[in-house]
Amino acid sequence: MKVLLVDDEKKFATMLAKRLALRGIDIDYVYTGDDAIAKAGTQSYDAAVLDVKMPGIGGIELERKLKELDPCLKIIFLTGHGSKTDFETGSAEAACYLAKPIQIDELIKILREVIG
Amino acid sequence: MNSTIDFKDNDDLAFFGKVNASISHELKNILAIISEAAGLLQDLTDMAAKGQKIELEMLTTCSQDIVEEIQRGFATIKQMNTFSHSIDEPVKKVNLADVVDLMIALSKFLSFACTVRFDPLPEEPAVVSTCAFRLQNLIYRALVFAYESTGPDGQIGVAIHPQPNGGAQITFSGCGSNKAGKFASDKTKKIAASIGVDIREARDLQGFELIVPENAEAVSQH
Repeated sequence: MKVLLVDDEKKFATMLAKRLALRGIDIDYVYTGDDAIAKAGTQSYDAAVLDVKMPGIGGIELERKLKELDPCLKIIFLTGHGSKTDFETGSAEAACYLAKPIQIDELIKILREVIG
Repeated sequence: MNSTIDFKDNDDLAFFGKVNASISHELKNILAIISEAAGLLQDLTDMAAKGQKIELEMLTTCSQDIVEEIQRGFATIKQMNTFSHSIDEPVKKVNLADVVDLMIALSKFLSFACTVRFDPLPEEPAVVSTCAFRLQNLIYRALVFAYESTGPDGQIGVAIHPQPNGGAQITFSGCGSNKAGKFASDKTKKIAASIGVDIREARDLQGFELIVPENAEAVSQH
Protein backbone atom coordinates (compact mmCIF):
# COMPACT_ATOMS: atom_id res chain seq x y z
CA MET A 1 0.00 0.00 0.00
CA LYS A 2 1.62 3.26 -1.13
CA VAL A 3 0.17 6.44 0.34
CA LEU A 4 0.81 10.16 -0.13
CA LEU A 5 0.13 12.39 2.89
CA VAL A 6 -0.30 16.15 2.35
CA ASP A 7 -0.67 18.56 5.27
CA ASP A 8 0.74 22.05 5.82
CA GLU A 9 1.07 21.37 9.57
CA LYS A 10 4.61 20.08 9.24
CA LYS A 11 4.92 18.48 12.67
CA PHE A 12 1.59 16.71 12.23
CA ALA A 13 2.50 15.37 8.80
CA THR A 14 5.96 14.25 9.91
CA MET A 15 4.76 12.38 13.00
CA LEU A 16 1.73 10.81 11.36
CA ALA A 17 3.95 9.61 8.51
CA LYS A 18 6.42 8.08 10.98
CA ARG A 19 3.61 6.29 12.81
CA LEU A 20 2.15 4.96 9.57
CA ALA A 21 5.60 3.81 8.45
CA LEU A 22 6.04 1.94 11.76
CA ARG A 23 2.82 0.09 10.89
CA GLY A 24 4.13 -1.02 7.52
CA ILE A 25 2.56 1.65 5.31
CA ASP A 26 4.78 2.82 2.45
CA ILE A 27 4.29 6.56 2.89
CA ASP A 28 5.54 9.78 1.34
CA TYR A 29 4.64 13.13 2.87
CA VAL A 30 4.74 16.72 1.67
CA TYR A 31 3.53 20.03 3.06
CA THR A 32 2.01 21.75 0.02
CA GLY A 33 -0.31 21.02 -2.85
CA ASP A 34 2.37 21.95 -5.38
CA ASP A 35 4.80 19.42 -3.89
CA ALA A 36 2.05 16.79 -3.87
CA ILE A 37 1.40 17.30 -7.59
CA ALA A 38 5.14 17.05 -8.26
CA LYS A 39 5.35 13.79 -6.26
CA ALA A 40 2.28 12.29 -7.90
CA GLY A 41 3.73 13.19 -11.28
CA THR A 42 6.73 10.95 -10.71
CA GLN A 43 5.29 8.16 -8.56
CA SER A 44 2.14 6.11 -8.39
CA TYR A 45 0.10 5.98 -5.19
CA ASP A 46 -2.83 3.84 -4.07
CA ALA A 47 -4.27 6.61 -1.92
CA ALA A 48 -3.71 10.23 -0.92
CA VAL A 49 -4.54 11.63 2.51
CA LEU A 50 -5.16 15.37 2.13
CA ASP A 51 -5.70 18.19 4.58
CA VAL A 52 -8.72 20.21 3.44
CA LYS A 53 -7.46 23.70 4.35
CA MET A 54 -3.96 24.52 3.17
CA PRO A 55 -2.35 27.71 1.89
CA GLY A 56 -2.16 27.85 -1.89
CA ILE A 57 -3.78 24.78 -3.35
CA GLY A 58 -6.35 23.53 -0.85
CA GLY A 59 -7.37 19.91 -0.42
CA ILE A 60 -10.48 20.05 -2.60
CA GLU A 61 -8.63 21.59 -5.55
CA LEU A 62 -5.70 19.24 -4.99
CA GLU A 63 -8.03 16.23 -5.20
CA ARG A 64 -9.11 17.36 -8.68
CA LYS A 65 -5.52 17.84 -9.85
CA LEU A 66 -4.35 14.49 -8.46
CA LYS A 67 -7.31 12.73 -10.05
CA GLU A 68 -6.31 14.21 -13.40
CA LEU A 69 -2.94 12.51 -12.98
CA ASP A 70 -4.44 9.25 -11.72
CA PRO A 71 -8.22 8.77 -11.90
CA CYS A 72 -7.94 5.57 -9.81
CA LEU A 73 -6.30 7.35 -6.86
CA LYS A 74 -8.35 7.05 -3.65
CA ILE A 75 -8.72 10.23 -1.61
CA ILE A 76 -9.17 10.62 2.13
CA PHE A 77 -9.59 14.09 3.59
CA LEU A 78 -8.38 15.28 6.97
CA THR A 79 -10.01 18.34 8.45
CA GLY A 80 -9.51 20.52 11.48
CA HIS A 81 -13.20 21.34 11.30
CA GLY A 82 -15.69 18.89 12.58
CA SER A 83 -19.18 19.98 11.74
CA LYS A 84 -21.45 18.13 9.35
CA THR A 85 -21.67 21.29 7.24
CA ASP A 86 -17.93 21.33 6.64
CA PHE A 87 -18.06 17.77 5.40
CA GLU A 88 -21.04 18.42 3.14
CA THR A 89 -19.39 21.37 1.40
CA GLY A 90 -16.43 19.24 0.37
CA SER A 91 -15.88 16.81 -2.43
CA ALA A 92 -18.56 14.28 -3.27
CA GLU A 93 -15.96 11.93 -4.71
CA ALA A 94 -13.73 11.63 -1.63
CA ALA A 95 -13.72 8.19 -0.06
CA CYS A 96 -13.85 9.56 3.45
CA TYR A 97 -13.45 12.55 5.73
CA LEU A 98 -11.63 12.23 9.04
CA ALA A 99 -11.71 14.96 11.68
CA LYS A 100 -8.50 15.84 13.50
CA PRO A 101 -7.22 14.66 15.90
CA ILE A 102 -7.41 11.30 14.15
CA GLN A 103 -7.17 7.75 15.44
CA ILE A 104 -4.36 6.06 13.53
CA ASP A 105 -6.01 2.64 13.61
CA GLU A 106 -9.15 4.15 12.09
CA LEU A 107 -7.12 5.79 9.32
CA ILE A 108 -5.36 2.51 8.50
CA LYS A 109 -8.68 0.63 8.51
CA ILE A 110 -10.16 3.14 6.07
CA LEU A 111 -7.06 3.02 3.87
CA ARG A 112 -7.36 -0.77 3.66
CA GLU A 113 -11.08 -0.53 2.91
CA VAL A 114 -10.79 2.03 0.11
CA ILE A 115 -7.74 0.44 -1.50
CA GLY A 116 -9.23 -3.01 -1.20
CA MET B 1 -38.66 29.64 18.44
CA ASN B 2 -38.82 31.67 15.25
CA SER B 3 -37.10 29.48 12.67
CA THR B 4 -36.85 32.38 10.21
CA ILE B 5 -34.17 34.22 12.21
CA ASP B 6 -30.98 34.34 10.17
CA PHE B 7 -28.13 35.12 12.53
CA LYS B 8 -25.75 35.57 9.60
CA ASP B 9 -27.49 38.89 8.89
CA ASN B 10 -26.15 40.19 12.18
CA ASP B 11 -22.66 41.41 11.25
CA ASP B 12 -21.44 41.49 14.85
CA LEU B 13 -22.57 37.96 15.60
CA ALA B 14 -21.31 36.68 12.25
CA PHE B 15 -17.86 38.12 12.97
CA PHE B 16 -17.80 36.67 16.47
CA GLY B 17 -18.76 33.25 15.09
CA LYS B 18 -16.30 33.39 12.22
CA VAL B 19 -13.34 34.22 14.44
CA ASN B 20 -14.27 31.60 17.01
CA ALA B 21 -14.64 28.93 14.32
CA SER B 22 -11.20 29.88 13.06
CA ILE B 23 -9.74 29.64 16.58
CA SER B 24 -11.35 26.24 17.13
CA HIS B 25 -9.76 25.05 13.88
CA GLU B 26 -6.36 26.24 15.12
CA LEU B 27 -6.85 24.51 18.48
CA LYS B 28 -7.81 21.27 16.73
CA ASN B 29 -4.61 21.45 14.70
CA ILE B 30 -2.60 21.94 17.88
CA LEU B 31 -4.33 19.02 19.60
CA ALA B 32 -3.81 16.88 16.49
CA ILE B 33 -0.05 17.47 16.71
CA ILE B 34 0.01 16.72 20.45
CA SER B 35 -2.06 13.60 19.79
CA GLU B 36 0.38 12.38 17.11
CA ALA B 37 3.39 13.19 19.31
CA ALA B 38 1.86 11.26 22.21
CA GLY B 39 1.03 8.40 19.86
CA LEU B 40 4.56 8.32 18.53
CA LEU B 41 5.95 8.32 22.08
CA GLN B 42 3.69 5.35 22.83
CA ASP B 43 4.89 3.58 19.68
CA LEU B 44 8.52 4.14 20.70
CA THR B 45 7.80 2.95 24.24
CA ASP B 46 6.19 -0.23 22.88
CA MET B 47 9.20 -0.82 20.63
CA ALA B 48 11.61 -0.35 23.53
CA ALA B 49 9.57 -2.75 25.68
CA LYS B 50 9.98 -5.38 22.96
CA GLY B 51 13.73 -4.83 22.96
CA GLN B 52 13.74 -3.03 19.62
CA LYS B 53 16.24 -0.24 19.07
CA ILE B 54 14.79 3.25 19.08
CA GLU B 55 16.30 6.60 18.18
CA LEU B 56 16.69 8.79 21.26
CA GLU B 57 16.50 11.85 19.04
CA MET B 58 12.93 10.93 18.17
CA LEU B 59 12.00 10.93 21.85
CA THR B 60 13.54 14.37 22.28
CA THR B 61 11.78 15.74 19.20
CA CYS B 62 8.41 14.39 20.38
CA SER B 63 8.82 15.93 23.83
CA GLN B 64 9.89 19.28 22.38
CA ASP B 65 6.99 19.27 19.94
CA ILE B 66 4.52 18.63 22.75
CA VAL B 67 5.95 21.50 24.83
CA GLU B 68 5.94 23.87 21.83
CA GLU B 69 2.39 22.99 20.86
CA ILE B 70 1.15 23.45 24.43
CA GLN B 71 2.72 26.94 24.39
CA ARG B 72 1.07 27.59 21.02
CA GLY B 73 -2.23 26.45 22.53
CA PHE B 74 -1.86 28.75 25.54
CA ALA B 75 -1.07 31.69 23.24
CA THR B 76 -4.13 30.91 21.11
CA ILE B 77 -6.40 30.63 24.15
CA LYS B 78 -5.06 33.95 25.47
CA GLN B 79 -5.93 35.56 22.12
CA MET B 80 -9.38 33.95 22.21
CA ASN B 81 -9.91 35.25 25.74
CA THR B 82 -8.90 38.81 24.81
CA PHE B 83 -11.14 38.71 21.75
CA SER B 84 -14.12 37.33 23.70
CA HIS B 85 -13.81 40.02 26.38
CA SER B 86 -13.78 42.77 23.76
CA ILE B 87 -17.59 42.72 23.84
CA ASP B 88 -17.73 43.42 27.59
CA GLU B 89 -17.99 47.20 27.18
CA PRO B 90 -19.68 48.95 24.24
CA VAL B 91 -17.08 51.73 24.28
CA LYS B 92 -13.69 51.70 25.95
CA LYS B 93 -10.14 53.00 25.62
CA VAL B 94 -7.94 50.73 23.54
CA ASN B 95 -4.34 50.79 22.40
CA LEU B 96 -4.55 50.50 18.62
CA ALA B 97 -1.29 48.55 18.44
CA ASP B 98 -2.80 45.87 20.69
CA VAL B 99 -5.97 45.67 18.59
CA VAL B 100 -4.05 45.44 15.30
CA ASP B 101 -1.64 42.89 16.76
CA LEU B 102 -4.54 40.68 17.95
CA MET B 103 -6.35 40.87 14.61
CA ILE B 104 -3.16 39.98 12.72
CA ALA B 105 -2.70 36.96 15.02
CA LEU B 106 -6.30 35.79 14.64
CA SER B 107 -6.48 36.38 10.89
CA LYS B 108 -3.26 34.41 10.38
CA PHE B 109 -5.27 31.26 11.08
CA LEU B 110 -6.92 31.73 7.68
CA SER B 111 -5.42 29.40 5.09
CA PHE B 112 -5.05 32.23 2.55
CA ALA B 113 -3.29 34.63 4.93
CA CYS B 114 -0.05 36.11 3.63
CA THR B 115 2.96 37.52 5.50
CA VAL B 116 2.18 40.68 7.45
CA ARG B 117 4.89 43.21 8.21
CA PHE B 118 3.68 45.17 11.20
CA ASP B 119 5.92 48.23 11.27
CA PRO B 120 7.56 49.29 14.52
CA LEU B 121 5.06 50.80 16.85
CA PRO B 122 4.95 54.55 17.47
CA GLU B 123 6.82 55.71 20.57
CA GLU B 124 3.64 57.17 21.98
CA PRO B 125 0.87 54.54 22.07
CA ALA B 126 -2.13 55.47 19.95
CA VAL B 127 -5.02 55.18 22.38
CA VAL B 128 -8.58 55.76 21.22
CA SER B 129 -11.98 55.49 22.81
CA THR B 130 -14.14 53.32 20.61
CA CYS B 131 -16.23 50.18 20.28
CA ALA B 132 -13.34 47.70 20.40
CA PHE B 133 -15.38 44.87 18.93
CA ARG B 134 -16.47 46.82 15.84
CA LEU B 135 -12.96 48.18 15.34
CA GLN B 136 -11.66 44.59 15.45
CA ASN B 137 -14.28 43.60 12.87
CA LEU B 138 -13.18 46.43 10.60
CA ILE B 139 -9.45 45.65 10.92
CA TYR B 140 -10.09 41.93 10.39
CA ARG B 141 -12.04 42.73 7.22
CA ALA B 142 -9.21 44.98 6.06
CA LEU B 143 -6.67 42.21 6.61
CA VAL B 144 -8.84 39.62 4.82
CA PHE B 145 -9.21 42.01 1.86
CA ALA B 146 -5.43 42.50 1.79
CA TYR B 147 -4.77 38.73 1.98
CA GLU B 148 -7.20 38.07 -0.86
CA SER B 149 -5.52 40.81 -2.90
CA THR B 150 -1.99 39.48 -2.55
CA GLY B 151 -2.47 35.72 -2.19
CA PRO B 152 -0.75 33.50 0.40
CA ASP B 153 2.75 34.06 -1.04
CA GLY B 154 2.51 37.86 -0.85
CA GLN B 155 3.34 40.35 1.85
CA ILE B 156 1.41 43.33 3.14
CA GLY B 157 2.42 46.12 5.48
CA VAL B 158 0.43 47.50 8.39
CA ALA B 159 1.42 50.64 10.28
CA ILE B 160 -0.09 52.98 12.86
CA HIS B 161 0.47 56.73 12.67
CA PRO B 162 -0.89 58.83 15.54
CA GLN B 163 -2.54 62.03 14.29
CA PRO B 164 -1.58 65.47 15.66
CA ASN B 165 -5.19 66.23 16.59
CA GLY B 166 -5.75 62.90 18.32
CA GLY B 167 -6.83 59.58 16.88
CA ALA B 168 -4.67 57.62 14.48
CA GLN B 169 -4.29 56.42 10.95
CA ILE B 170 -3.85 52.69 10.26
CA THR B 171 -2.34 52.05 6.85
CA PHE B 172 -2.53 48.80 4.90
CA SER B 173 0.03 48.73 2.08
CA GLY B 174 1.13 46.37 -0.67
CA CYS B 175 -2.32 45.21 -1.76
CA GLY B 176 -1.53 45.65 -5.44
CA SER B 177 -2.20 48.68 -7.64
CA ASN B 178 -5.47 47.39 -9.08
CA LYS B 179 -6.92 46.54 -5.66
CA ALA B 180 -5.96 49.61 -3.63
CA GLY B 181 -9.21 51.51 -4.16
CA LYS B 182 -11.55 48.53 -3.93
CA PHE B 183 -11.77 48.36 -0.14
CA ALA B 184 -14.48 48.33 1.16
CA SER B 185 -17.91 46.73 0.67
CA ASP B 186 -21.07 48.57 1.69
CA LYS B 187 -21.33 46.35 4.77
CA THR B 188 -17.77 47.22 5.80
CA LYS B 189 -18.38 50.93 5.20
CA LYS B 190 -21.42 50.69 7.47
CA ILE B 191 -19.34 49.13 10.25
CA ALA B 192 -16.69 51.86 9.81
CA ALA B 193 -19.33 54.59 9.91
CA SER B 194 -20.82 53.19 13.11
CA ILE B 195 -17.54 53.95 14.93
CA GLY B 196 -16.68 57.11 13.05
CA VAL B 197 -13.83 55.57 11.04
CA ASP B 198 -13.06 57.07 7.65
CA ILE B 199 -11.72 54.76 4.92
CA ARG B 200 -9.37 56.37 2.39
CA GLU B 201 -7.49 55.05 -0.57
CA ALA B 202 -3.68 55.25 -0.35
CA ARG B 203 -2.74 54.79 -3.97
CA ASP B 204 0.96 55.56 -3.42
CA LEU B 205 1.13 52.69 -0.91
CA GLN B 206 -1.02 50.41 -3.08
CA GLY B 207 -3.39 50.18 -0.18
CA PHE B 208 -5.76 52.10 2.02
CA GLU B 209 -6.03 53.86 5.37
CA LEU B 210 -8.41 53.73 8.27
CA ILE B 211 -8.69 57.09 10.00
CA VAL B 212 -9.68 56.25 13.57
CA PRO B 213 -11.03 59.13 15.68
CA GLU B 214 -9.77 59.70 19.21
CA ASN B 215 -13.34 59.41 20.45
CA ALA B 216 -15.79 57.47 18.37
CA GLU B 217 -19.09 59.23 18.16
CA ALA B 218 -22.21 57.44 19.33
CA VAL B 219 -22.00 53.79 18.39
CA SER B 220 -25.12 53.24 16.39
CA GLN B 221 -26.94 50.04 15.68
CA HIS B 222 -26.78 49.00 12.05
